[in-house]
Amino acid sequence: MRDLKHLIYFENLLQEANNTLVQQAVADGKLALGYTCYYIPEVLLKLEGCFPVLLRAPRSSSPDIATYYMTNRNCPYTRCILERALEGGYNFLSALFGSETCAAMERAQEHFFLLNPVKNDKFFVTILDGPIKDDKTSLDFYEDQVRLKVLEPLRDRCGIDTSEEALHRAIEKHNALCRVITEIGNFRKAENPVITGYEFHVIQLVSEVCPQELILPLLEETLEELRTREPDPKPWYRARVVLCGSEVDDPEFTKLIEQCGAMVVADRYCYGSFPGREEIEIRPGETAFRAICRAYLETNQCPRFMSTSKVNARHRYVKKLVDDFHADGVIYENMKFCEFWSYEKVLGFQVLSREMGVPVCTVEKDYTNGSFGQLRTRFQAFVESLEIKKLSK
Amino acid sequence: MAKKLLRALGKLLGFLAKTAAVLFAATFAIYWFNLENKLLYYVVRPFLNKHYDSQQRDRRV
Amino acid sequence: MKKILKAVVSRIDKKLEKYDPIKQAEAGTGGQRSRYYDKTGIAKHREWRGVEDTLFDYSVWLKNLGAMGIMVAKSPVRTLKAFWEYRWMGSFLGTFAFLDRCLEGYRGPELRAGGANLSAIVKNVTVKLGIVIQNDRRFGEAKNSDRLVGMDETLPPLFLTGFKDLILFPMQTFPEFLICDIDQQLMPYYIDVAESFGLPADVCARCAAETGVAIDDAFPIYGKAILTTNMPCNASEATSMFQTRRIGLPDFVAAMPMLHNEAEVHKYTEQILRDAIAFVEEHYGVKYDWDAFFQHAKSMNEQNRIELEKWEIFKTDYSALSGIAESLYRLYSWASANGTDDRFLKNDRKVIEIMRRAYEERHRPFGGKTRHRAFLWAPSAVYYTDFPTWLQNCWGVCIVLNMDSTMGYNMISEDDPEQAIRDLALFEEKGVMRHHAVGGWDNINAVWDWAKRFNCDMVIFNDNVACKGMNGVHGMMEEQARALGIHFLFVEHDLEDCRTIPRRAMREQVNKYMSIVLGEEPLDATLVDFDDSEAW
Repeated sequence: MRDLKHLIYFENLLQEANNTLVQQAVADGKLALGYTCYYIPEVLLKLEGCFPVLLRAPRSSSPDIATYYMTNRNCPYTRCILERALEGGYNFLSALFGSETCAAMERAQEHFFLLNPVKNDKFFVTILDGPIKDDKTSLDFYEDQVRLKVLEPLRDRCGIDTSEEALHRAIEKHNALCRVITEIGNFRKAENPVITGYEFHVIQLVSEVCPQELILPLLEETLEELRTREPDPKPWYRARVVLCGSEVDDPEFTKLIEQCGAMVVADRYCYGSFPGREEIEIRPGETAFRAICRAYLETNQCPRFMSTSKVNARHRYVKKLVDDFHADGVIYENMKFCEFWSYEKVLGFQVLSREMGVPVCTVEKDYTNGSFGQLRTRFQAFVESLEIKKLSK
Repeated sequence: MAKKLLRALGKLLGFLAKTAAVLFAATFAIYWFNLENKLLYYVVRPFLNKHYDSQQRDRRV
Repeated sequence: MKKILKAVVSRIDKKLEKYDPIKQAEAGTGGQRSRYYDKTGIAKHREWRGVEDTLFDYSVWLKNLGAMGIMVAKSPVRTLKAFWEYRWMGSFLGTFAFLDRCLEGYRGPELRAGGANLSAIVKNVTVKLGIVIQNDRRFGEAKNSDRLVGMDETLPPLFLTGFKDLILFPMQTFPEFLICDIDQQLMPYYIDVAESFGLPADVCARCAAETGVAIDDAFPIYGKAILTTNMPCNASEATSMFQTRRIGLPDFVAAMPMLHNEAEVHKYTEQILRDAIAFVEEHYGVKYDWDAFFQHAKSMNEQNRIELEKWEIFKTDYSALSGIAESLYRLYSWASANGTDDRFLKNDRKVIEIMRRAYEERHRPFGGKTRHRAFLWAPSAVYYTDFPTWLQNCWGVCIVLNMDSTMGYNMISEDDPEQAIRDLALFEEKGVMRHHAVGGWDNINAVWDWAKRFNCDMVIFNDNVACKGMNGVHGMMEEQARALGIHFLFVEHDLEDCRTIPRRAMREQVNKYMSIVLGEEPLDATLVDFDDSEAW
């Protein structure tokens, strides 16, 4: 297929957290607000005067200092984030909206105020306590936490307009991006798609790490390009997979899977578009703020949700992606030392493969690319098994 | 009559005392020589463990 | 008569002193480990503690034996079936050896306080085990099966004691938690079961073990519904999902806020408690009785008042209670019993009397050989419950208090339902492994204040290698200790998997610190290095 016009530019943007578009927005007086978790409603960080930066630590090698503080038995993503902060890689941030949604991340975020690594006078940290159920009590709790830890600090410390009208505008703005990304993502449903999983991963990531005003025009151009892009004469892949799991902010991981012959047709992982690119709907009688909290709580697929309804819904969600995107199988990945996904992938494997008849491969990965050799072998074997299964049908 | 009663009582107390002494000696011996733990560790647990290892369990998620 | 008896006892004690392991250690002719068979943890004979203390220990042994006998006598057939069915039941046979390990080296008032505490636990355990065995549907339906309410063991049951006709049961305590205290060899089996299904080996061993119990179908079957919780941490939440799925009953998740120090979250905890009560009412068809609850609240309040008085004595050198006799008792009586069993209150009243007397007499426990007063922080290795006993006997390090003993001690209203709910919210939030291990940095960092309050010169940090939360504060804790100039050491362990870091390796970490950093000699050379790899 012909290369996408902006792909190399997008790839370059992903090489630094403080990329050129972020620098431009900060120079224009906008506040860069860091966050690491779906529990922090991205849309709130798009209020006028600020923009969200989903934190990554691209090109990380060995997080030695962070490892001293957090030991080498902890999530490498959180350590790399802390290491990058200590290196000065996040000095452009005005705030970190953290969440107590996993112990490792919470500890990493605490180091942001204990060690003060972000050299920015305006910088502050809040840590939100996220619910693990989606009943009314939990929604009330979540709304309270989001108000206390996100909305009020935005208003009181950053001087951001957080009125209902401002929230309405932020929702509209966010929905516009969601429509573009969703339409781009839907191209993956085709039997001979005009986009690869890798390309989509890059596109989805830039939408999360760059200011929307600056990146959206380029994404819209990309969408236009895709509408008329000619696919290869026949599908390049040997199997189609849904990638499900914990943090995946490195498109090279998706590229690795695709190099092994499996196209990643849906991205159900932290930083993926499922969830995260659904339009937020304000129901009759709801305030914009309530609608935001409800939407993020309802769509949240984090494996820390404990209620049986949420646990079962997670598996049905993955199965729906398999069906909608015509996938042959699912890859469950978990970041090394990730407690939640370590358990979820066991459960997911059992339910998806034994009860729903969907082939599943489970892998563990590091934040850096050290173990790609072993993963390659696993993916190749999985692709072969999917092919054999297809042939035997 | 009273003498007979006293004698009977005496015999009973004597019997109880002897029984208590024997029980005390026996239980204290078990206690002191750690006999219950030795029996459990060297005989009972290996037997049970063998049984547990051979069990067919309904293992599933 | 008393004088004559005392004289006789004294004479016998003098004659038999050479068999006292503490005296042997002093003389360099032996010590605590001299009477053990290598590796097995089985002693050739019990500890000679002098006439009085040995007879006292024997009486406690008889009492515990009696408690177990009653349990079996109440339902002998089902008890045998339970032993035959459940691997974890077989491990309970190691209880006597476990109690011996915990009270090794104890004499006088500390033996009496420790013996009383551990006996109270044994009694409650045998009663509870008896209940679950009698009502386990696996062995046939029984009249009280439907009255049992399975609760996550980390969810303190006090708030549900208003259901006076229901029996609140901690689900994991017997198949997984308490049994690991008794038998270190058991949990590796269940952990392996969980790992055979793909669970990575780096997750918390305790939660892996619970998952293994669920997968292995080793939970007793009873009740109509269960209550789970997110307490204390991530892994606990995750394993609960497996257990709920396997048990297959309707479940209510009592989701407590993680950042429990923040004032704004308490009202949600209150609502969760109300929701939980409504759930039980719905599924069990019973009404909550506030009067019944207030009785239990009164009992718990008195227990906590006594606990706070104990703390004042702990701060001195004259406490008859310390180490494992204190921490295991507080953990069990608070977390598992939590106001549901008045035996613990009666026991507390007895033990505080022992402590008051010892304090008034200025009795220095353990022969006055304590060299260091230590605060034990972070969750302890469950497979090495008697670690504090070893610390005391080998190096003279007295564990004055441990983190889990600081669980909820606020008073609960005894007459106002609304206030009671507010009080319970604070109480429940500060649950086991939660008060300080989660909720933010300030909670963990509070260790230094606690150590100071209790006049400790040392902090021992239980370093669970799989605990992501505790691992995340490693560097900061070291830096704090350095800045404060306090004796501080990490003791690595793997919570319930004795294979990763065996007891011997745990001891070696302490040995190195005490001998190299502090330059001290052990009190009992036989305890420095020994092999107990095949012990329970």
